[in-house]
Amino acid sequence: MVRRRVALAPLLLTLAALQAHPEDREQDPKEALQSLLSNALQVTIAARVLPPDEKPIWNAESTKLTLPGRSIRVRMDGDNVRIYLVCTPYVQDSGNVLLLAQGQVWFAEPTENEVKYSSTFSSIPVSFGEKVLFFPLGVSSEEAQQKGVVNVEVEINIVPYKQPQPQQQP
Amino acid sequence: MCPDRQIVSAFLDGEIESPWDKAIVEHLASCQTCRSLHARLAETRRILREESLADWHAPMERVRRALRAQTPPQRREPAVWERRVSVPLPVVALVAALVLFFGITLVVAELRPRVGLVRITKAPAGGTEIQISAPISELETLLKSVGAEDTAREDVILLPKNMRLLPVGEPRMGKAAEFPKVKTW
Repeated sequence: MVRRRVALAPLLLTLAALQAHPEDREQDPKEALQSLLSNALQVTIAARVLPPDEKPIWNAESTKLTLPGRSIRVRMDGDNVRIYLVCTPYVQDSGNVLLLAQGQVWFAEPTENEVKYSSTFSSIPVSFGEKVLFFPLGVSSEEAQQKGVVNVEVEINIVPYKQPQPQQQP
Repeated sequence: MCPDRQIVSAFLDGEIESPWDKAIVEHLASCQTCRSLHARLAETRRILREESLADWHAPMERVRRALRAQTPPQRREPAVWERRVSVPLPVVALVAALVLFFGITLVVAELRPRVGLVRITKAPAGGTEIQISAPISELETLLKSVGAEDTAREDVILLPKNMRLLPVGEPRMGKAAEFPKVKTW
């Protein structure tokens, strides 16, 4: 009897070891999707061209969903400029967001036959809904604005993703 | 004065050269003690030369047999591969279970990357983990795969046409509160 129990010991130990990984349990895909969406973030990127003291003469907006730690890329193409913006939001334990943002600007001089490149990289702790601004071509001074130089402004806004409520049937 | 015993022995062996041997002969003629010593040495020499030594092999063999009979026979030291080790049965069972477990784990780990699968699992802490197993064997392929995914997620915004945008400084980024002079909309 004792020998039979001992012979079963390796099998039981193996089964116990295999059961010791609860994270390997399969999960219902719908449930997993709901879990993903509950952690999802909605990132809105709005680009504007701002003349001095006037309403934007042009604007465009892009809204994307992402997960904490997953980056989103936005490319802005102009006649003589190409701007890349890579945003990676991380949700901190405090509930705030740490935004890692990288901006790259490729600029072709109108008169010179060359391309200039500049980049910026920032880690910005923000609250949900707090605006982050990116000026890829710099911030023009008042004097420059008076001469008609416009600002290109990119606004980044991160909020938790809210799932649309299903419409109730009357 | 009597000569040394060793000198008498050397004289007997003929190792004393002339004229010292004549002096020893004269002394032996006048000294009874040295004469008797010389006679004993000569007798011993005669016995050693004439009488053969007793056969000592038989007594020696008897002594050996007696010693062997008294001491227990020595066991031959077994070789390393002939030695037996006593291990408790539970330990053997535990080792066998561990070997079985790690064998199964290795087989599963070996097979898993070859079977392309997407697994969504729920961690104990409440998070969700998505595992994508694909036959990616080279780092370059992996990087290309990641790069292709990033490209697919890139949004493109077309800036206004026929507008020459001029840089007025270095790119700047920060919270909206850091740019109070810029009128934002």
